[in-house]
Amino acid sequence: MTLRKYLISAAVAAGFTLATTGSAIAACATDDLPAEMAGPDGFPARALTMVVPYGPAGGSGQVAQAMAQAVSDLTGVSINRDHKPGGSGTVGMTAYMATPADGYTVLEHIDDAASAHALDSARPNPAEALIPLVTSQITFSQIYIRTNEDRFTDWASFVDWVKAQDGKATIANVSKEGSMERVTMKFITDATGMQIQQISFDKGAPRYGALAGGQVDALFEQPGDVRKFLDADKFKPILTILKEAPEAFADVPSLTDAGLDFEPLFRFRGFYVKADAPEERVKWLQWAFQKAYCQPSYQKYNESKFMTLIESFRDTDGSKELITSTIAQYRDVYKEMGLEVR
Amino acid sequence: MDTFANFLGGTAALFGDPVGVLIFFGGVVGGMLFGAIPGVSMLTLAAILLPFTAHLKPEHGIMLFSVIYCTGVYGGAITAILFNIPGAPENAPTAFDGYPMTQKGKAGKAVGAAVMCSAIGGTISCIVMMIATAPIADWAISAFGPPEIFALVFFGLAVAASVGAKTFWKGWLSIMAGLMIAVVGLDPVGGMERYDFNMPYLLAGIHFIPTILGFFAVSEIFVQAEKKATGSYKAPKISVDFPTFRELWAHKIAVVRSIIIGFFCGILPGIGATLAAFMGYNEAVRWSKDKLEFGKGKLEGVISSETANNAATGAAMIPLLALGLPGGALTAMMVGVFQMHDMEPGPLVFINSPDLVWVVFAAMFFANLSILFVGFLETKTIINLLRIPFQFLAPMILLLATVGAYAVRGLVIDVVVMFIAGVAGYFLRRSGYSVAGIVLGLILGKIGEQTFAQAMQMLHFEFSGFLQRPIALGLLIAGFLTIGGSIYGAFFRKGPKAATMS
Amino acid sequence: MGKFKTGDLVEAGLWLSLVAFLFAYSFEFDRNIEIYRYGATAWPRAILLLIAVAAIGQLLNQARHSDDSATGMFAAAADDASENTQHSSLGWYLCTFVLLAIPFVYMNLPGWIVSTNNIPEEGVARVKIITAAVLFVIYLIFAWRNHVGAILALPVFFAACLEDMGFYALAPFFIIGIMILMGERRISRMAMIMPLIYGLLLLCFVKLLYVGLPTGYVRPFYDFGNWVVALLQ
Repeated sequence: MTLRKYLISAAVAAGFTLATTGSAIAACATDDLPAEMAGPDGFPARALTMVVPYGPAGGSGQVAQAMAQAVSDLTGVSINRDHKPGGSGTVGMTAYMATPADGYTVLEHIDDAASAHALDSARPNPAEALIPLVTSQITFSQIYIRTNEDRFTDWASFVDWVKAQDGKATIANVSKEGSMERVTMKFITDATGMQIQQISFDKGAPRYGALAGGQVDALFEQPGDVRKFLDADKFKPILTILKEAPEAFADVPSLTDAGLDFEPLFRFRGFYVKADAPEERVKWLQWAFQKAYCQPSYQKYNESKFMTLIESFRDTDGSKELITSTIAQYRDVYKEMGLEVR
Repeated sequence: MDTFANFLGGTAALFGDPVGVLIFFGGVVGGMLFGAIPGVSMLTLAAILLPFTAHLKPEHGIMLFSVIYCTGVYGGAITAILFNIPGAPENAPTAFDGYPMTQKGKAGKAVGAAVMCSAIGGTISCIVMMIATAPIADWAISAFGPPEIFALVFFGLAVAASVGAKTFWKGWLSIMAGLMIAVVGLDPVGGMERYDFNMPYLLAGIHFIPTILGFFAVSEIFVQAEKKATGSYKAPKISVDFPTFRELWAHKIAVVRSIIIGFFCGILPGIGATLAAFMGYNEAVRWSKDKLEFGKGKLEGVISSETANNAATGAAMIPLLALGLPGGALTAMMVGVFQMHDMEPGPLVFINSPDLVWVVFAAMFFANLSILFVGFLETKTIINLLRIPFQFLAPMILLLATVGAYAVRGLVIDVVVMFIAGVAGYFLRRSGYSVAGIVLGLILGKIGEQTFAQAMQMLHFEFSGFLQRPIALGLLIAGFLTIGGSIYGAFFRKGPKAATMS
Repeated sequence: MGKFKTGDLVEAGLWLSLVAFLFAYSFEFDRNIEIYRYGATAWPRAILLLIAVAAIGQLLNQARHSDDSATGMFAAAADDASENTQHSSLGWYLCTFVLLAIPFVYMNLPGWIVSTNNIPEEGVARVKIITAAVLFVIYLIFAWRNHVGAILALPVFFAACLEDMGFYALAPFFIIGIMILMGERRISRMAMIMPLIYGLLLLCFVKLLYVGLPTGYVRPFYDFGNWVVALLQ
């Protein structure tokens, strides 16, 4: 298992050497799939439903919108999005597991489903209870500070400053225990030996506002979510949580540059169907969602969210590997952290 | 005058674009209709429309939502007055006096006052918004952190506890019950699963929309149904005699006071219009000579809460546009509209798309003005809903409420919660407890706990940290004084409280 | 200092037992949060403490003002009772309680039957439909004697079934049910108004605004709901 885990990390690492920053004409992952595919026995005879376990406005809501649009453009089948936010994705997942497995209802979900299963195996394993149709966004996290900050200017001076504050420095982060964000922060504090008070924000906008307004000293986030602040030169990244810095952030230190030794965790978003859905229908859905990934509208969306800096695409098998290795990695970390793993 | 030139530019852009005009009037009518149909609210409309805005131009999408916001806050007053069903939490205090007025056959006067005051409050607040957004934005973003917002929530709760219930104790217990309901779901600091009783759907927490619908709309149906069943049902009297100018002029001070309160409350992210309405009403009671008349159908009650909540609409746009911080459910959806177009509200909007900002400002200004004209026309038709026989109106309202509760989050549990809240509201109604207080506790409870935790984390778990934050300290002291005052009143003064939820 | 009234004591007792129950339950989620010293329990427990204080304060206050006109919850309920006879008895409360419990039985019983009898997935739908039918008969029996209780319980029952059976199939029956409970007896009127309300609602929300209302998960309700949606969109 460990070997496989590192193989996946290596594959992800290889992904960003292929990074296609900004070039829309570049070859896309599913260009070899057939341009058309007939559904089995007239499937789908009516509109599909996409359950989204988050609200329409956030990252998941937007990727669901972009993917649904791309699939509709490609196949002419309309997709109704059914947002069921709450409980860090648990509520939408529960509702989805109750739907009939006829292939008409698909699910959008993020890596939280994997970490939830890692913590409590009673929660469905997205690689077993579901069939991943496509993983369409994989991204990494960064640490941000205000551009006009004068107490520190880069990662090294930040670490020194934080250590001098004796635990009183603050960083805005999400609230959920065991989440990708909180686990990664633990990796960072353990690796640097610095003590920093994390401030819990469960919603994005107030979290960014806290950094912009000077309420906190730093922010943990993914680049796509704070792009407007980066473009406006309000925030600047001081650490990229990847083994090697991607081209777009070449001057920001990576984990290797900063001398931090841990396996980075990724945020990923993908689309699923129930594992017991009819096989032929699943095949058609796989084709539709994977092909839609390369629709220009979807690629343009991914680019705008910094989702092309590392390879975002995984097909069904690739997604299963990604999920399985993620679950294994979280399990190890949780046990190490002393969390109760069921 | 830079502002004025910008405003003219925005107006020209708004009315020079036929699609924009169409959307503008669609928003005006839609907001009023959804606000004024019992069981659904402007939030229902907004939740339904949100996915569609992806197909609109960004300025049209934002403009549509801001127009719905202005007219919906007014529309919610109509159902509060006619049916005791506030369309949104900010309309709850309107029902305190509005509904008794309907029962007395003075619905026309109450609705007329709501029309006038909403238009006045909204328009003036819009003007201030246009002038003040940029400078206030800079100040508020650094002055208002979690400790300040927590202190404000505390103050808001202290105020709310002293209005609406029969006694100080009942008011306080109502608020606390609301705060406890807000605890259900994931905790805001660590994501722990609280009071879910092994029901995964409860992890989503209890939303205030179904709770409001249940407490106000559903329980009102139950009460009327009981009267039907026992033969004591009386169809409400219908009147369309609007208040005279003289009647309104007599309350000019209440209007001015509520505009000021509404505007300042509205600016504050997270609480906005609801607190504005409650405080506007509370201050009206405090300054009035005949306090005992409030809650029994006093025009001033309707005036002060409706002016305040519409005055908050313009103000709520300030943190939204200037900081990207939504002040309530509807402004939070506006953030969604921005994001659907790859934009984020915030300081950048002023730099990157000033045209959009001014089209929106102009649209809000004219939406508030149009409340005056369309509002009077619409009221004459809406008021006729009261003529529909109750046995047909009841299933309609219940099903509309079902759709309204479901559409917000797509969760059936919300429909269940709504009907349970309806049953609870039915039993609580004549108990002296304040259902409006429970709702406010529920809304502010989530913000309160979260900002308290953030404040404690920021202040390194030392309460003395509040002493170094003058704004937070001031608000906390004001809150304690309010509570102290009501305790004093509860122990040393006799006689019934002024305002009572019927 | 006056003396305590039974109604006031019951009211305070209810609050305090609620506080005790919720406090005991809070140990379920009493786990350490790494970055927050007070954990997930401090806030609800502080509120529970304040509730307890307020409930006791209210009780003492009521005793002090016992010569005042009745202000307690149960005193108010007694006022109600005098104005309409249905509320008067303990029997009424019991009967209403049974009616209100029916929806909760529906939400839990099928799952229990399925898990204890190892019913395969295909049979789950049948279990749910039969349970709903049996519970509806029980509802009718109790509703017959308790009009107000019936009105209170029907919407909750409707909501409890919504997840499985869907809005599209249940709404027509719900409309008819409410109309009957509200005293409408003319079949011709009901036959006219029901499709009118149902049609208007679907037209407005499903056809014009594309709201996805619950279709239900149980066949044949699931198929019916999807058929209606496909027809309209």
